Amino acid sequence: MSASPATAPEKTQAQPRGRVSKSPTRLAFERFMYNKAAVVSVIVLLVIIFISIGAPLFTHLDPTHQYLTETDAPPGGVHVLGTDKNGFDLFSRDLYGGRNDLLIGFVDTLIVMGIGILLGGLAGYYGGWVDSVIMRFCDFMLNFPFLLLIIVLTSIFNSSGVWLLIGVIAIVFWPPTTRMVRGLFLNLREAEFVLAAKMAGAGPWRIMFRHMLPNIMGTIVVNATFTMANLIAAEAALAVIGFGVQPPNPSWGNVLYDALDYFTLKGEPWVWLPPAGLLTITILCINFIGDGLRDAFDPSFEK
Amino acid sequence: MGTYVVRRVLGMIPMVFLITVFVFLIMHAAPGNAFDAIMNPAIKDIEQLKEQLEHNAGLDQPLWWQYVHWLGLFVTGNWGFSFTHHVPVTDLVGPAIRNTLILGILAEVLTIAVGVPFGILQARNPYGKFDYTSNIVLFCLYSVPFFVFAIFMIYFFAIDLQWFPAQGSTGTGPNAGTLGDHLYHALLPALSLAVVNSTVYSRYTRGSMLDVARKDYVRTARAKGLEEGRVFTKHVFRNGMIPIVTQFGLDFGNMVGGLIITEGIFQYQGMGQLVIDAVNGRDYNVIMATTVLIAIGVLIGNLLADILYAVVDPRIRYD
Repeated sequence: MSASPATAPEKTQAQPRGRVSKSPTRLAFERFMYNKAAVVSVIVLLVIIFISIGAPLFTHLDPTHQYLTETDAPPGGVHVLGTDKNGFDLFSRDLYGGRNDLLIGFVDTLIVMGIGILLGGLAGYYGGWVDSVIMRFCDFMLNFPFLLLIIVLTSIFNSSGVWLLIGVIAIVFWPPTTRMVRGLFLNLREAEFVLAAKMAGAGPWRIMFRHMLPNIMGTIVVNATFTMANLIAAEAALAVIGFGVQPPNPSWGNVLYDALDYFTLKGEPWVWLPPAGLLTITILCINFIGDGLRDAFDPSFEK
Repeated sequence: MGTYVVRRVLGMIPMVFLITVFVFLIMHAAPGNAFDAIMNPAIKDIEQLKEQLEHNAGLDQPLWWQYVHWLGLFVTGNWGFSFTHHVPVTDLVGPAIRNTLILGILAEVLTIAVGVPFGILQARNPYGKFDYTSNIVLFCLYSVPFFVFAIFMIYFFAIDLQWFPAQGSTGTGPNAGTLGDHLYHALLPALSLAVVNSTVYSRYTRGSMLDVARKDYVRTARAKGLEEGRVFTKHVFRNGMIPIVTQFGLDFGNMVGGLIITEGIFQYQGMGQLVIDAVNGRDYNVIMATTVLIAIGVLIGNLLADILYAVVDPRIRYD
């Protein structure tokens, strides 16, 4: 450090006081914070996550218990939002339901992105027959009538657990992500820093994950955010026709499913309005965050 | 082009075959069958009846035999009987396909008729007030899941205002079954699919139009004195449509998924509703027939999109 004092003034000259050099991540973070909609969305989403994880703080009622003597109760009293036609307490279901929706969205995003990065990376890096095999497989999966598969699988293993559903949704949603990641890797394949790494003797895994991946991480994170919004919507869509999370396990989608009859829709908006609202707000927030992240990582991107 | 289409159609056969094998296996892995649902106190020996019915349906045979037997009959046009509706599967599938086609085409037409012009309108004056506000509105609308939108549509237009039926695909009375009646019943579900979907098309159209408007050949067209209307129709619009057609092709699978869910919500008697009922009732023959038809539908849709792609973009040649 003290070896060459002559270089010190030069250094301060190159970086005048008050303009500390910023890492790309820090710059992205600052650009993100500048996006008001995205910041508000983060806060709202955190609130939603908090009330669903901390659901026992807000209600002591069991969302899976059927109050058979108090079906179709209006809001008020013990049941803050009343009960539905099966006697489930709606307030606790709306709160606890968020846990399942967010869990499915989060875990499935991780799985889908993991598969996508691995297979897409291999296909994009190696090209040739590896690429052909992986992409043909992707095409097959994309053409498969998957809603059918989900419907059949979930009704077969008619359990109220969410892990099967998470698995099935992951199977359906990995191909588009894999395609996208493959394209990103393909673009970088001929880049000079990749060539340099090859020359330096780095192995394929090291090149893929230490050299190429950090360069496309921004795009992948943005894509993961939008994917998460889609996955939450997909689970809820399945639940609305009765094939998502199975009752008595709550989810916003299956609360909606139980509200889909004339009298509930007409006379009891407190049954379907809160889950519909929570779902929409959650998805909206995640999309806004994705939008903010895109602007943050890629300022040149034009909407 | 002709040989390309033939090759693609031939390529569909192994795909559909694989799909049938897969669905057949999953279906039989499910616990229980259609006859478990028989609960009639008037029947003395339910077990014996069930055995008899299962024997008649061939369910006591080995699985591979059942599949080969089904396939052999299926390709000759004998799609078997529905276990729960007690009619030939072909009788169920016919009206269901018609209803789904009405709904699907109406939804797709509405999506494009709303989405594309709106995107063009936005691109006319980019970054202006209209563009800015409508972008925010579209972004929010895009985030509304279509089934939530469908529920609101039912609430406002079917229950509150009573302008449209809340469910079903045909009405009763003298007009039942006419095209007008079908469209009247399909409009609400079609709208709920179209409104949310059209935001995607608006975004793509706007982006694509702005992209093309910057191109040199557009400047050339203006420079040589072509009037603005012709510049738009001949140069900007034609080229701007190429990515939209791609989007249409990519969208087709989603559209089918959306149709199934919309039919479920509106109790609209199409293929989606048929699938849902068949799966719930373990109605094997109906599940297989609908699976094959939906798979073929998706594959043909993708093929049509690829052909359309070559039509709008003459640079693309298949041979």
